[in-house]
Amino acid sequence: MSVPREVAQLTLGSAFFLTLGVIGTILLPATFTPPPSELATAYTPQQLHGRQIYAREGCWYCHTQQVRSTEADQGAVYLAGDIGPVSRAGDYAYQKPVYWGTERQGPDLSHTASRPQTAQRAWQLAHLKDPEALVPGTIMPSYGHLPESDLEDLVEYLLTLK
Amino acid sequence: MAIAEAEIRPRAGGEGEPPQRPTDDEPIARYFIYSGAFWLALNILAGIVLSVFLYSPPVIQQLVPDALKAAINFGRLRPFHVWLGIFGWVSMVWIGSMLYLTCRLTRARLAWPGLARTLLYAWNGAMLGAAITFPLGYTQGREYAELTWPLSLLLEACFIALAAIIWRTVAQREEPRIFVSVWLFMISSFMTPIVYAVGNKLWDPSGAYTGMNDAIINYFYVHNLFNAWFTTAAFGLVFYMLPRFTGNKLYSHRLAMWGFTSVWTGQHHALYSPAPDWLQIVSVSFSILTVIPNAALLGNWWFTMKGAWSQLRENLPLRWLTVGMIFYLFTCLQGVAQSFRTFNSLVHLTNWVVGHSHLAFVADYSFFAFGLIYYLIPRMVGRPLSLRLRRAAEWHFWVSLVGITAFMYTLWFMGLEQGRDWAMGVPFVATVRNLHAWFFVRLLSGVVLGFGQVIFLYVFVRFVTARKAAAEA
Repeated sequence: MSVPREVAQLTLGSAFFLTLGVIGTILLPATFTPPPSELATAYTPQQLHGRQIYAREGCWYCHTQQVRSTEADQGAVYLAGDIGPVSRAGDYAYQKPVYWGTERQGPDLSHTASRPQTAQRAWQLAHLKDPEALVPGTIMPSYGHLPESDLEDLVEYLLTLK
Repeated sequence: MAIAEAEIRPRAGGEGEPPQRPTDDEPIARYFIYSGAFWLALNILAGIVLSVFLYSPPVIQQLVPDALKAAINFGRLRPFHVWLGIFGWVSMVWIGSMLYLTCRLTRARLAWPGLARTLLYAWNGAMLGAAITFPLGYTQGREYAELTWPLSLLLEACFIALAAIIWRTVAQREEPRIFVSVWLFMISSFMTPIVYAVGNKLWDPSGAYTGMNDAIINYFYVHNLFNAWFTTAAFGLVFYMLPRFTGNKLYSHRLAMWGFTSVWTGQHHALYSPAPDWLQIVSVSFSILTVIPNAALLGNWWFTMKGAWSQLRENLPLRWLTVGMIFYLFTCLQGVAQSFRTFNSLVHLTNWVVGHSHLAFVADYSFFAFGLIYYLIPRMVGRPLSLRLRRAAEWHFWVSLVGITAFMYTLWFMGLEQGRDWAMGVPFVATVRNLHAWFFVRLLSGVVLGFGQVIFLYVFVRFVTARKAAAEA
């Protein structure tokens, strides 16, 4: 069969754009592997299991894990600026996948284990079971229906977010 | 250039065209559209449940029996809603229409009809798998890439099969010219499997890359799945619908051909993030370059509509298409604005983004899909809508339009309010409380939008089953 000239040109054209996109936005950045920062955590099996629960329950749909460079001064969880230091590439070195997120229906969790209240294991556990009791006005659903061991593992993971 | 003269000349314009006789390649195309309507119903249902969750989670959690509390929760229904909406509903209408139109425009029989039938079952199987695995908590934890490995491989095979069928059908064509719609289908079906495989890291069962690159590649995938699959195919469909629905010649094929440059971008999702600065800057430039394909589409729409505006009152498919195009213009303007750093810093991660994605998938692509369905299904079935169903279809249009407009404006407003509150350092839970009433408005407008789709399903099911009754009689 003969391939019409237009089709050949356009197929090659789109293949060119696709290749350009893959090289520019996948291959080039992949050559740069940032070294782990002091915030990066090599997870224990329990923390890793907690991280899987974080994915399973879809926590990442409402909570981001990235502090953008524009909001480090003013971004608030309780007080202006307490969102914490700007995220750096090395913070994510051991994560697979990362949970940068796309929406923030709940607060950013990048440094949740560095705030006095949320750094407490007991607070996190109670909050997962009954968010409204600890944070009036929240729209976070309860996770009290999950097995206790799952919640404990999840809290272990949350406490790695320093 | 052969294509430039080769206008798609409508035999008789718009809805006045007499229905054509069904041919034997049509049932398969039709069943894709039927399946799409089914997944739309589940998508809407999940959407309303999610809206209630965002207003007040206990309302749902107190109703649900303990055994289902894990499955019916925001984080598990969110991928269910998104997947059935974009891969179930929009994609299946796209595939049905692409297969049907490829045969029509090339005057060829559908290649490998057995494979096409398998594709129908396999695609529905993948969607059924999504509908079951997400509530059970099986996920890869990446946006638009949540599907677990075996189902992801199945969907990749489906994309490859679709490309094979379309390319083979074109190779067997009797029509010497290749219309712009057909080659956009070819391009779209060729690029999508590549984007899907890279974005889902199909050679690794975990489906994820490591560290920051995982986010970068996920943004590449999310945006380019949108460009390569939904948008490029939609361009092909629009370039068919425009001359058909209006009865005018397509304004410019030469311009239309630039539609394939749906630009390779996506990193504007990473502005102000730890991603390299040069990548963020490149992404802003590429986002601005989307003016090329979008001018190709919108310019063609505007000039092809010349003299056809008065048809909007009577011509239902043209009205869906036109309103969809106006919303598409909004999408383009918003998309470029969101890729600018100043505006991005205000609205990124807020509910504005949710409004933007509903703008694209509901107000653009679902509106195009309804235009296609109201035009193609009567022709596939071989008779027009009855007067009563035509009246109900009118309600479908207006209720949907009011619902989606209220829905999107609510979300945009919420996004701006959130962005302002965050920038001012308002404590987070106070920003959530500020939105409480707006979440209720969003729920109400979502219910209106959902009610519009109930009317659609009524019209659709009545129309299709009436045909079966007539055939049996």
